[in-house]
Amino acid sequence: MQSLNKIAYLSVFTAVSISLFVVESLFPTPIPGVRLGLANIFILLALIFLGLKEAIFIGLLKSIVGSLILARLFTPSFIFSISGTLVSTFIMWIIIKSHLPFSLLGISIVGAETHVITQLFLAVFIFLPGVSFFYIAPIYILSSLITGSLVGALTYLIFSKIKGRYNFCLF
Amino acid sequence: MRQESRFRPLKIGDILIIIFFLFFIFFLPKKQGEKVIISVDKTINFVYPLNQNKEIIVNGKIGPAKVEIRDGKVRILNSPCPLKICENKGWISKKGDFIICVPNRVIIKIEGRKYDAITE
Repeated sequence: MQSLNKIAYLSVFTAVSISLFVVESLFPTPIPGVRLGLANIFILLALIFLGLKEAIFIGLLKSIVGSLILARLFTPSFIFSISGTLVSTFIMWIIIKSHLPFSLLGISIVGAETHVITQLFLAVFIFLPGVSFFYIAPIYILSSLITGSLVGALTYLIFSKIKGRYNFCLF
Repeated sequence: MRQESRFRPLKIGDILIIIFFLFFIFFLPKKQGEKVIISVDKTINFVYPLNQNKEIIVNGKIGPAKVEIRDGKVRILNSPCPLKICENKGWISKKGDFIICVPNRVIIKIEGRKYDAITE
């Protein structure tokens, strides 16, 4: 019964994160590359309810299937997306496991920042060698601070709805 | 029951991490540049040190543009392009800063001490 429950949650989280990823990629943004990162809500929830393996599975599937739908598989933007997702998932897991005084808001902010900093490092050292890191970093760090706290607040709302119905929890 | 206190909406670490990143944004080192690189049509034409006052005529695609270096800052003084966006950018002085004049194909970029892959 427990594993059936887990499979159900895993599939719902994966489906919702893929569709959020695709839908929010279609909206134009003022700064190129800045998105809300709503799919991160479900990666964070998967880290809490299901575990690291499942969260990485959701992240990989989100990047691959989402890029396939948007016709950008194996382009630079796909590489940005997948590497940022993997690194931020791993760092968020470390923070959840360590007993630092972070709530979901802080974990989500750290996830968003590691996501964007990974992408900035990739951009500066591999794809656009000539752009100064410190010249473009502040805009992206500030915007990911805002989107990260928004995503953290949303995660907290969804978490408090699910919490009572699902009794496996990493914490 | 199960460590409910971990899921209060806001904890001390959150505030600390927000303050840390805000400090990081505002006190990020913006280094003073060392060299000015002026290129026309993607080929490097001139490299000048920033600390010598100088006026340079750059022959762009549609005409000569006058570039001024003074007190560690650079600007395009006048340019034959129609919209004058490059002139309105004004002075630049920090590493990684740049002025781009699209119709005239002139790019002025400031580099630090170390050269990167493009300038080599």
